[in-house]
Amino acid sequence: MITLGNYLALSGIIFSLGLVGVMTSRNVLKVLLSLELLLAASNLSFVAFSKFNGDYAGQLIVFFVILVAAAEVAIGLAIIVVMYRRLSTIQADELRTMKW
Amino acid sequence: MSPYFFYFFAVILILASAAVVWARNPLYNVLALVVAIFSLSCLFVLLEAFFVGMILLLVYAGAVLVFFLFVVMCLNLNTIALDQAQQTRFRLWGIAVGLMFVASFGLATKSFIKAQTMDPSSIRGTIETIGKILFTDYLLPFELTSLLLLIAIFGIVSLAQGALSTGKGAENP
Amino acid sequence: MINPNLVWIAFFAPLVACVLITLLFLRNKTFSSLIAIAGILTSFICSCLVFTQIFQADPPAQLQQSLSWIAIDSLTINFGFLMNPLAIMMLLIVTGVGSAIFIYSRGYMDEDPSSPRFFAFLSLFAFSMIGIVLSNNFIQLFIFWELVGLSSYLLIGFWYAKPSAADAGVKAFMVNRLSDFGFLSGIILLWSISDIGNGRSFQFTDLVQVIPHLDPHMLTIVALLLFCGVMGKSAQVPLHVWLIDAMEGPTPVSALIHAATMVAAGIYLLARTFFIFEPSSTALTVIGYTGAITALMAAILAVAENDIKRILAYSTLSQLGLMVMALGLGGPMQGMYHLTTHAFFKALLFLGAGSVIYALHHEQNIWKMHGLLRKMPVTGVTFLIGTLALCGIFPLSGFWSKDTILALAYTHNIVLYLIAATASGLTAFYMGRLFFVVFWGNASEHEGGEHGPHESPLVMTIPLIFLAILSAIGGFIGIPHYLFPQEAPEELNMRVAVISSVIALLGLGFSYMIYGKRTATDPLATKLGSFYAVLQNKFYFDIVYGWYVDHIQQNVALFLSRFEREIIVRLCVGGLTNLARTGGKTFRYLQNGLVQFYALIFVLGAVFLFLVLIKTL
Repeated sequence: MITLGNYLALSGIIFSLGLVGVMTSRNVLKVLLSLELLLAASNLSFVAFSKFNGDYAGQLIVFFVILVAAAEVAIGLAIIVVMYRRLSTIQADELRTMKW
Repeated sequence: MSPYFFYFFAVILILASAAVVWARNPLYNVLALVVAIFSLSCLFVLLEAFFVGMILLLVYAGAVLVFFLFVVMCLNLNTIALDQAQQTRFRLWGIAVGLMFVASFGLATKSFIKAQTMDPSSIRGTIETIGKILFTDYLLPFELTSLLLLIAIFGIVSLAQGALSTGKGAENP
Repeated sequence: MINPNLVWIAFFAPLVACVLITLLFLRNKTFSSLIAIAGILTSFICSCLVFTQIFQADPPAQLQQSLSWIAIDSLTINFGFLMNPLAIMMLLIVTGVGSAIFIYSRGYMDEDPSSPRFFAFLSLFAFSMIGIVLSNNFIQLFIFWELVGLSSYLLIGFWYAKPSAADAGVKAFMVNRLSDFGFLSGIILLWSISDIGNGRSFQFTDLVQVIPHLDPHMLTIVALLLFCGVMGKSAQVPLHVWLIDAMEGPTPVSALIHAATMVAAGIYLLARTFFIFEPSSTALTVIGYTGAITALMAAILAVAENDIKRILAYSTLSQLGLMVMALGLGGPMQGMYHLTTHAFFKALLFLGAGSVIYALHHEQNIWKMHGLLRKMPVTGVTFLIGTLALCGIFPLSGFWSKDTILALAYTHNIVLYLIAATASGLTAFYMGRLFFVVFWGNASEHEGGEHGPHESPLVMTIPLIFLAILSAIGGFIGIPHYLFPQEAPEELNMRVAVISSVIALLGLGFSYMIYGKRTATDPLATKLGSFYAVLQNKFYFDIVYGWYVDHIQQNVALFLSRFEREIIVRLCVGGLTNLARTGGKTFRYLQNGLVQFYALIFVLGAVFLFLVLIKTL
């Protein structure tokens, strides 16, 4: 039997992988991709809840999240392009002017 | 039947996610994410959320990840050798914290007893059903997202414009 | 019945005058003096009206009116007045003698450019003194006590550019502050033990009920502490040192404050709250001996003094000692009687001295003045009347009042009587010395003939005459009856009267023998030799106090200052700031600019919150 718990556990694993990616990637592009993973995991979770609770709201949330994620990725990539133009590199370590 | 489908797609999803995080070549990262999205979409179909499954494929895999590919190609990232020496100091910390997170999430799920015994409901997220709700109860957010996309376009154009004129791609004075 | 509005008007009229002068007329010499005079005269007229109202009734009327000022749990302090025969008599003295002196000041201070400030301060003083007279509870009394001290400081140091005057003002204030510490302790102690079922109170009328129930030892302590305040304000030994230096102030100030009214406030307090002192014979004994010693010491020191105002200041000290002694012997009526007559002739003497000083362009050394009786007849004659009254010559007012005190001493405590009698004899001696040196003899050999002294203007001589008349008839207008109507009138003790008259005449006679002929310096200086030096140094009180302040008090103050600077400021305050600064310096390294580091912290926090949530759910 596949229960809600299965889906939630899967979602947790994906989310953690995404977190590790965000925290440890040397490459900002990879950070952005890991961010997508995070969102994907949340979407899975929502849809699972929606199915098991009998409420369409979960799926609608997913719909909007996908939309917003699309916009966010676009802007993120634009930023990366600008960064590449400025610093000629996309290493996360190079972004360190916001400090004391 | 369904359990095996679930585990099949779940394994693919996990492996693909791992590849997104740990593959060397940036191109492989993006392509791994495409695979992950595909398997996610299949999982959605297993949950009878057909509409969002399709949207995921169309928008995410279709548009967003292709955009990623564009950027990777554009910046020639697949040929850039990432400097080994410049490691983020907090790699280990990151992995440790990730493990912590997974553990706490597991704890939470475990304690959510009801989740172990719930029966799936009978709703089906078809275009018809979703559409009905989308255009009545959730009309406002729907309209607002169009505004959101417009603003995103403004942002991107203004960002990229500057980059184009000062960066390597500038050709017109 | 007493009209309370008259009392309130009498209370606040001088304050209104002071405020008006300060706000509007500080540049205008004429108006400021007129407003001040108007203020005090208003009070005087209202007092006279109230006086008639009180004594129309039989027994004499009494009125108390209060506004509730502070009422918190068991702490209730009111603001109001208690009008009874004692209060109205004192009020009449203050406003009556005050009016005379205000009018006199108009003439005396007309050359001084800052006279409006003078009149503002003088009005403030009048208000404060009336406040003391009328107060019906200890806290209000204390407030006005301090206000009077403040006015005294302001007026003594009126010519603040002169260092000796400024110092004298500070000295007066300091000594008063010291005595007020004891005073306030006594007030609070009395309040704290004043609960007999009705709650604690500061009001005099309530405390009268409380006193019989108090433990005798506590009562003695309270009485002695309250007497501390009297010692400071009325300049008893050892807190007498400020009164002599207070003569740095203008002469009307010396007359009003340091002769007639403010220094008498202590006596008035003793009389007003005599029910506190009466049961405690220890306290009364202490008071009696303090007064007697003061009287004698001051009289001895006056003999060696050469400044006209200082001689009069010593005589004030001496008479105050007599009044305090009278109260110590259990005779508030006798003390107040002498206070009343003393106000008349001492004010008269000071104003007369002022007249002389004014005429001689601020010369104050008596050896530079002689034969003024011919040149300034009105001043001279009134001064003579004042002198004779002070010495206690029949039938002037001083004779009657001083006699009641001496009789009281004779019948109760022969030691005190002997001290008082000696003091009286010395009083006659040095007053005679003063009169003969300044006024007697020929005026022909006076230096600076064309600018020689002449009689003062009318605005100054009329008050002199007024006060002289009062000094003369003061014994016959029945003052004791008005003060304490319920007591039986005193019989004259013939034996004491005769002895004291003889002593006074002997004193005057001796002084004529030594000083009747004109000399350039004091012949007594050579006769007394080294003892004269002791007198010159005022029995070394000032030197001892000065040594104490310089060596002990300064060091304690320096120690405390250093303690505050090092420990409190540098250690505590500085330490805290350093702690904050160091903490900041350490924690800022958390912001290293690496975005993924921030993300790490972020996720750590999220994990932590997550765990907390799981635990609580």
